[in-house]
Amino acid sequence: MIMISAQFLFAIFFITTVSLHIGKKIFGAAMAYSVQSFVIVLLIAGSFVQTGSIPLLFVALLVLVTKVILAPILITRAMKKSRLKFLMNTYINIPITLVIIAVITAVAHSSLFAPLVSIIPANKELLSLSLSTILISFFLIVNHKGAISQIIGVLSLENSIVAFVFFAGLEQSLSLQIGIMFDIVIWIIIATVFASMIYRHFGSLDVTEMEHLKD
Amino acid sequence: MELLIIFLSILAAATTCLLAKSRGVIECVSVTASFIALVGSVLIALKVSKFGVYAPYEFFSVNALGSIVVCIIGLVGFAAVTYAVGYLREETAKEIIGFTRVKQFFVLLNLFLATMLLAVTASNPIFTWIAIEATTLSTAFLISFYNKPSAMEAAWKYLIVNSVGLLLGFFGTLLYFTSLQGTGEVGFMTWDNLLSGATHLDPMIAKIAFVFVLIGYGTKVGLAPMHTWLPDAHSKAPAPISALLSGVLLNVAFVTVLRFKGITDVSVGPEFAQKLFIVFGLLSLFVATLIIFTQKSYKRLLAYSSIENMGIMTIGFGFGGLGVFAAILHMIYHSLFKSILFFSAGNTFLRYSSTKIATVRGIISALPVTGVIFLAATLAITGTPPFGIFLTKMFILSAGMKTYPIVAIAAIFLMALLFVGFFKHITTIIFGEKPDEIAIGEKNMWLVIPPLALIIIALCLSFYIPPFLNNLIVMASHS
Repeated sequence: MIMISAQFLFAIFFITTVSLHIGKKIFGAAMAYSVQSFVIVLLIAGSFVQTGSIPLLFVALLVLVTKVILAPILITRAMKKSRLKFLMNTYINIPITLVIIAVITAVAHSSLFAPLVSIIPANKELLSLSLSTILISFFLIVNHKGAISQIIGVLSLENSIVAFVFFAGLEQSLSLQIGIMFDIVIWIIIATVFASMIYRHFGSLDVTEMEHLKD
Repeated sequence: MELLIIFLSILAAATTCLLAKSRGVIECVSVTASFIALVGSVLIALKVSKFGVYAPYEFFSVNALGSIVVCIIGLVGFAAVTYAVGYLREETAKEIIGFTRVKQFFVLLNLFLATMLLAVTASNPIFTWIAIEATTLSTAFLISFYNKPSAMEAAWKYLIVNSVGLLLGFFGTLLYFTSLQGTGEVGFMTWDNLLSGATHLDPMIAKIAFVFVLIGYGTKVGLAPMHTWLPDAHSKAPAPISALLSGVLLNVAFVTVLRFKGITDVSVGPEFAQKLFIVFGLLSLFVATLIIFTQKSYKRLLAYSSIENMGIMTIGFGFGGLGVFAAILHMIYHSLFKSILFFSAGNTFLRYSSTKIATVRGIISALPVTGVIFLAATLAITGTPPFGIFLTKMFILSAGMKTYPIVAIAAIFLMALLFVGFFKHITTIIFGEKPDEIAIGEKNMWLVIPPLALIIIALCLSFYIPPFLNNLIVMASHS
């Protein structure tokens, strides 16, 4: 039962990761990230219910506050400052993007990554799926021209790694989780401040507009 | 105790800089803190040389290689902070920056030093990752310090490329923890735990994990093809920061890769990591050679030279044996000479207001002391005898001749091309006719003393290595 609900939750995670490639609105992307993070919260909370470990509950609350609530607020605030509603274009059009995502998912399920997805044999499917979200998030950063998309891509990559770590049973101690979370919060603040500064300097959040270093 | 004093003094300096309303106070506390860090780092190195691993608290552990890098952070850090005092005063006089920017600069500079020290001294791989990520965050605003579009672009590239790289490194790091699954070990995992558990690590997972670590942390080291952020960031940052980025930060990330190499070697044998090191090292040399000839900015030229030297070190560690000893020694020389070069580049920029090779001529006439230091450091970094880098390159190549002769020959060829390219550009700006509007004489002695002191130290180390340092290098090359 727990395995089925973990699969269902992670299917939502996977869909939100794919939706980050297709969505056009910044607000939608921020919400998709929020949903993605909420899945992580539910997974950790589920683990708390199973084990009764108080540190896990604390980590779940920490993720809830930082990633589900704070990060989308900071991203949408950056969006309002730059008066932009829509994400920038991608290098590759949507149909080909979807084909690449399908190929990435197939590769993550292939024998190439067999040692990684067999860390916990019972979670093989979930590990393959989380590995594919790592690769899809990486593709998101590479394929998008907008600074906000790149920020969300980095955050989605981090979420995917957290999911993989969760299914592989490699969670770290509470003190380290706090350290990692602190780093991520600072990263989000700095990245969104930079996005605002980029808009002020270049009048756009399109990173391809930045051509001052070409010499 | 030493480590605690270092961290407390640097963090106290950062806090004071944040609250201080006087420029003198900011400069004074920063220089004092970096001096305490220098003294503390030497004391730590002496202890490690005498007693082995220095681990005063559960969260910290400094081995031989770590103590060498701690010393580099202490020495170059002190030189950079002292140089920054003179450099920022000149920039304030030119009305490029105001008091608030000076304040921001020293707060971030102190945090940068603290995070680098934490990365090298942390006993836990995840803490190391957190600290290295923190170096990215503390330096992003230093790279965009001048608030110009080009600096902003460089900082954004730095932030995104390094963050993605470090996340991949994070993923690789966590994969190493699979060795501890089922061993009953729980709680705070140290580097030593990972090393002792390496025999339980699935060889295939070890290989995949090391590839992620090498690509991830290798991005921070500046290895090709992940180097794209480096020339932009190093050329757009203020000179003291460029010196720290090139001379120190790259080594901090490199030490982390080497620690993972040690764990991987236990699991799959040394050949796997060695071959990867040789491939990435040679590729870095090749990329630097390809681009160095067409460079238009002398600061970018120095940045590409860093990619070259990181490549040489990587090849040295890949060759093994004597190559490892030489690579560690190369790391020390490169840190010192590259910092000197960036300080000299900073003095040149203050006088000529340009980083373009085409517009700068006759540094030796305009800035006689800086010109001589610039030339000497150029000769040293390109591997001209009698400077230490000549010897380390020779040792690395001779180690390679025995095991990988084709790679060694290719490296000699690329190094020769790099020597010609680098030397051609630098001699063009050092000699030649000085433009009439450029005044003669050094601007400020505080801009000359740090590079002068460093070049004296580097020269002494080229001929004499103190016993404690020699001991540390031997210990590090055998670990």
